[in-house]
Amino acid sequence: MTKASVTRTFTAVARIRAEASADTFTSGPQYIGSATRPEAAPAKIPRMSERTVRIGGLAGAIAYAALIGWLYLQQPQTFAQVTGGLTSAVGAYRIDDRAFEEGLRFFRNDQFVEARMAFERADPAVRDPVTQFYIAYSYYRQGWGRMYSDDELYALGLQAVDRALALAPGGRVVVEDENLGMKSAEELKAELEAGLRREMSDFNPARLLRERK
Amino acid sequence: MTAVREALVLPGLLLTVVLLGGMRLTDHLAFVPPPLFALVLAVLLLGTLIRSGALAPERLVHAARPPLAAANGGLALVALFLASAQVFHLVTPDSGLPRLAFDVFFLVLLLNTWASAPDRTRLLRSLMVIFGSAFVFKFILLAAISDPSGGRLHRMMQVLLDGVTLGTLTQQPFHPALGYLAFLTLALFLAAVALLPPSVRRRGRLEIPPGELLAEPVMGEIAEGERQH
Repeated sequence: MTKASVTRTFTAVARIRAEASADTFTSGPQYIGSATRPEAAPAKIPRMSERTVRIGGLAGAIAYAALIGWLYLQQPQTFAQVTGGLTSAVGAYRIDDRAFEEGLRFFRNDQFVEARMAFERADPAVRDPVTQFYIAYSYYRQGWGRMYSDDELYALGLQAVDRALALAPGGRVVVEDENLGMKSAEELKAELEAGLRREMSDFNPARLLRERK
Repeated sequence: MTAVREALVLPGLLLTVVLLGGMRLTDHLAFVPPPLFALVLAVLLLGTLIRSGALAPERLVHAARPPLAAANGGLALVALFLASAQVFHLVTPDSGLPRLAFDVFFLVLLLNTWASAPDRTRLLRSLMVIFGSAFVFKFILLAAISDPSGGRLHRMMQVLLDGVTLGTLTQQPFHPALGYLAFLTLALFLAAVALLPPSVRRRGRLEIPPGELLAEPVMGEIAEGERQH
């Protein structure tokens, strides 16, 4: 550091100290003040306003980071799932009742593809355990066969019932519907898993007499 | 550094990079966390930024700072680390030989930059070139090679290339919006790096950036320098 540059720096420091002592807003136990070029006006930020900015910034950044963490953990696959998940987090998520009723009507008429489309429309964010239960049930009924079951549909049903269980408070879904042979998600999951397993009982001729639940 | 920049602008930019850097668009949306190697590269990048004077961590987190300011600074540092990891993850090809080549390329380049210790301006230029060229390679060249929607000749060339490289060169096709998203993410990251508080000490010289707040220890060093002369 040359003599001239040290002198110039020291002059700037002296100016800063003078400004710092005159500025009651920015002076503090550890801060000296604002170092500025000689021609520039010193930036005076009222203490309260700076504090507000810092608190607001901290709170906003933590909330933003929490949102990002939530997105990485939950892995929503559509923007509807993002917004649905957020509204669900604050307890404001509601399914479309009309679409749900349509889905139920299709389901009871054994129109399973149409039923699932209506259920998906009713619960676009995939946040409602009962709707997911019905979707899983529609895969079960569509995939059920007296001779054999459709593994692909059963696997999709298993995914849906797992979603229902994950979404339900306490991990329990019970649907009081007279049309259903299985009223809980646990029964449905066990039935779907049994359908996917290969075992000796699959060759039991008595299977032909069983009924769809 | 002003409170607005430290508490609002830097965390906002860097967290947006964290968000967009891991976002993948295919037929659905996915958020991919950075691989372990990206974390290693991020550590190296932070080290290089500090060594070159582009980042003075003591101006963000220091015992002499008020707790609220230190919390703002700490958050900005954490966000910088995560954003760096996500940016490396973003510009590195997803699979095959290009991924391996890029990982080695970034590692060697960062170690070389660390060893040569360029000043802040040169480091920023260097980062722009590194990330810019990686972007061009992944999102323009590799994307064009891997594009399945080309004509018959294009597909024949693709099959030939796959045969020669044993299928290690071509990548999964991107969503058209991903390249634009990646460009925006890189621009935000480079802007955030340029806004980081630089070191006031550089190779034995003390420099006061115009319009910057100085902490007491730095002022002490200036006074010490004056006494010695």
